Amino acid sequence: MTGHNFWPRLRWTLLLAGAWSVLGFLVVPMLIVVPVSLTDRNYLSLPEHSLSLRHYATFLANPLWFASTLQSLLIAAVSAAASVFLGALCAIGCWRLSNGWSAAVRLLMLAPLIVPTVIQGLAMYRLWAAAGLYDTYAGVVLAHTITGIPYVIITVSASLAGFDVRLEQAARGLGASALDTIRLVVIPAVVPGLISGGVFAFIHSFDELVIVLFITSREIKTLPKRIWDGLQDRIDPTIAAVSVVLIVATLLLLLADAWIRRRRAQRRSIAAGPIAIEPQGRAA
Amino acid sequence: MGDGQKRFYYWAMAPAVLLVVVFFVLPLLQVLWLSVSEPTLGLQNYAALIDNPLLHRVWLNTIRVCALTTLIALTAGYPVAYAMAQVGEQHRTLMIFCIVLTFWLSVLIRAFAWVMILRTEGVLNSALLCLGLVDQPVRLVRNEIGVLIGMAHYMLPIAVLPMYSSMQAIPRTYVDAARGLGARAWQTFFWVYLPLSKPGIIAASVLVFIFSLGFFITPAILGGGRVVMIAEYIRVSFDETLRWGYATMLASTLLIALSLGLALVARTINVQKVFGA
Amino acid sequence: MGDDDNKAARAASHSLSLDKLTKRYGQQTAIESVTMNVVRGKFVTLLGPSGSGKTTILMVVAGFITPSSGRILLDERDITQLAPEHRNFGMVFQGYALFPHMTVEENVWFPLRVRGISLVGAQKRVREILDLVQLGGLAGRLPGELSGGQQQRVALARALVFQPDLMLLDEPLSALDKRLRADLQWEISALHRRLGSTFINVTHDQEEALSMSDDIVILREGRVEQSGNPSTLYERPATRFVASFLGESNFIRGQVSNIESDRFRYTVQDRSFLQAGEAAPKEPDGSVLVALRPEKISLAAEPTNLTNSVEGRIADFKYFGSTFYLQVATKLLGRIMVKTPAASATFNPSIDAQVWLGWSPDASVVVKAS
Repeated sequence: MTGHNFWPRLRWTLLLAGAWSVLGFLVVPMLIVVPVSLTDRNYLSLPEHSLSLRHYATFLANPLWFASTLQSLLIAAVSAAASVFLGALCAIGCWRLSNGWSAAVRLLMLAPLIVPTVIQGLAMYRLWAAAGLYDTYAGVVLAHTITGIPYVIITVSASLAGFDVRLEQAARGLGASALDTIRLVVIPAVVPGLISGGVFAFIHSFDELVIVLFITSREIKTLPKRIWDGLQDRIDPTIAAVSVVLIVATLLLLLADAWIRRRRAQRRSIAAGPIAIEPQGRAA
Repeated sequence: MGDGQKRFYYWAMAPAVLLVVVFFVLPLLQVLWLSVSEPTLGLQNYAALIDNPLLHRVWLNTIRVCALTTLIALTAGYPVAYAMAQVGEQHRTLMIFCIVLTFWLSVLIRAFAWVMILRTEGVLNSALLCLGLVDQPVRLVRNEIGVLIGMAHYMLPIAVLPMYSSMQAIPRTYVDAARGLGARAWQTFFWVYLPLSKPGIIAASVLVFIFSLGFFITPAILGGGRVVMIAEYIRVSFDETLRWGYATMLASTLLIALSLGLALVARTINVQKVFGA
Repeated sequence: MGDDDNKAARAASHSLSLDKLTKRYGQQTAIESVTMNVVRGKFVTLLGPSGSGKTTILMVVAGFITPSSGRILLDERDITQLAPEHRNFGMVFQGYALFPHMTVEENVWFPLRVRGISLVGAQKRVREILDLVQLGGLAGRLPGELSGGQQQRVALARALVFQPDLMLLDEPLSALDKRLRADLQWEISALHRRLGSTFINVTHDQEEALSMSDDIVILREGRVEQSGNPSTLYERPATRFVASFLGESNFIRGQVSNIESDRFRYTVQDRSFLQAGEAAPKEPDGSVLVALRPEKISLAAEPTNLTNSVEGRIADFKYFGSTFYLQVATKLLGRIMVKTPAASATFNPSIDAQVWLGWSPDASVVVKAS
């Protein structure tokens, strides 16, 4: 009797094993940074005699690393906020208009995801230099705002897809101005999209390297840039420690995003928009 | 909707559009312009496309690596997407989480981790030597193999998600109907399921190939200067030689090639949907 | 002649038996102890409201659902654990499930293809079956280009082309409009007669069941309520449920008074009525529930001398062209529904008119209350 079920079960087990092997290939290599960061030696190695936290100490105590971290946090926070604001407005406009113009705009807004970052960096260099934005906070914030907008547009559009247009029309019909409607009716409904978009724009800016390489030199040394420089001359375990911290931070951010979405979905039991299953194009 | 109302929404879109047009589109146009105007007006820079054997090699490398990466990512990613479409909710959430997490991890750190693993004194080689499978460490970084591994690792999530998305949309009844009509498992898969998942496969290939073309960080770190792809070549031309004409020509070529490619593919797939907007 | 010989030979053999099939999902029971026998070559309909378990039974027969307990026997062979692809049944799904990436011809070829027959080798059979369902010219079309009725026929052709032992139809006509449904009912019946295959049809449409089936199995909340041929079920419903689900019924509850060998009397208040047959099943308090179909009641503007008679006033009525459908308010029996042919009506109904209803003792039937 079980013979009838044997081959299908075997196939399924093999398939799952294969799928999880691939997923393992994705996740496990990242874990290598953990033991390396805890090595008791001063060069890249696995711990020999004992685990040591000195490389974490180096990272946290070193003023240069600290400064870079702060810079990155600041730039990411500001540019993410700007991206969310501009991107949300744009997404809402597109959603409501739904005509040829808005479709063109949507396509245009996706461009920073599609165009390779090398080209973006090269292009921005000249204009930034000419506009006095080279090697300034403002310059990087501007660049990251622009490249962060697509993420917000994608997540907010996804949220809007689940939003009934008639709610907005009802509000307008009851006498609310466009601005009030957006403020009181639309925005609350797309908050999950805003939060996710903000998280993704933040992560994008925080980790962004290529454009930064083109438009900064000495003043601005974001964390990725310092890691990159470190990788060029002498790779030491401090970088592994930094990596672990970044991995944990990213993990926490993503979990927070997922948790917020779930709570809102439970409380309101309306579609919270898809878990951002379509985060696209972190071009490198 | 009244014109007054419409105007409001146009204004809502305006700041973002303005920003993008002025600080993104215009600079890109300038790059294109510079490629034909620096140092002098004309298409001389583009002559290198024909004359320069180094450039040929770079392009060949790039296309070959990108094609291979696409192949690997699709082949490894299909079973994952398939499994994700079949398993229960919790199982699937776990799988999606693995993918999403990897996707959002800094590409710099990922490349760094791979260097840890693949280099001569790294984890993999140590393990191989220890187990006695090899006498000498295997060269896995600073060559194409390392780059391929690193890029495949980055591209896998990008390949899996669109494929999963299209598989999810395949109604169960088709598979049931095929079985009900007598089809064995492999017949159902090859004649019914695979064709129906084609849109996802195409979308995945497009995404992976496009992102691979412009890839900078991973090939730079794992290629160690030995495997030069077009992105790194552009950076080097700019950074070390400051040959604006040459650099912008390279960038323009890449940009045009990408645009043409996308335009071609846009006939068969909905590009916007693929990118998620 | 050879065709008939084949048909006869096959009719004698093979039948499908369901033996105490039960399917539970956790605490919920989808079907409970379903037992039935399908004779080869018959057209059997599983009829019931949604949630009655009829689709579950079909899916168990097809092999997509494994029963919690019970067996399925095909011609004495236990096929309960057999995978769907090995059962050789032709299945038509709700929504047809035509492969969207294949043409009509490729769709119909599919079951032959999986059995190792090339397109060239199958072409004759495919064309024949397409002609049979009157889709001859559409072989090259894609399913998306066809109408609902055409898709339905392709689904049928695809299921029939490999001459399966058994055809399973899951509400095949539910997505079609009334006219199309009626047409296809004729066609499916014709196909059935012509091919001699066994058909198991699932539907909630009782008219469809009555008009197309050799046998009907009525299901209610996962159990078989009653089974038999259409006229038996219609004329002699066993329970209140069957009497109201299949067609319509008025219900009269009365106390049994006189019992004779082949008939009995029952009383409602002070009036007694005569009923043919046995005074069973009886309720504990000695009453019976009698079902009376609207079309079996005669309507007159004057008192009649029919055995069973009651007077009332027309509360409301509708005109359907060929019939009048009336609600008559009676003091004795409450609201009674009456259907009467318009052609033979002796008077024109009007609201509040006084009328006399009458029916004969064998026009009504005793049913179980629940």
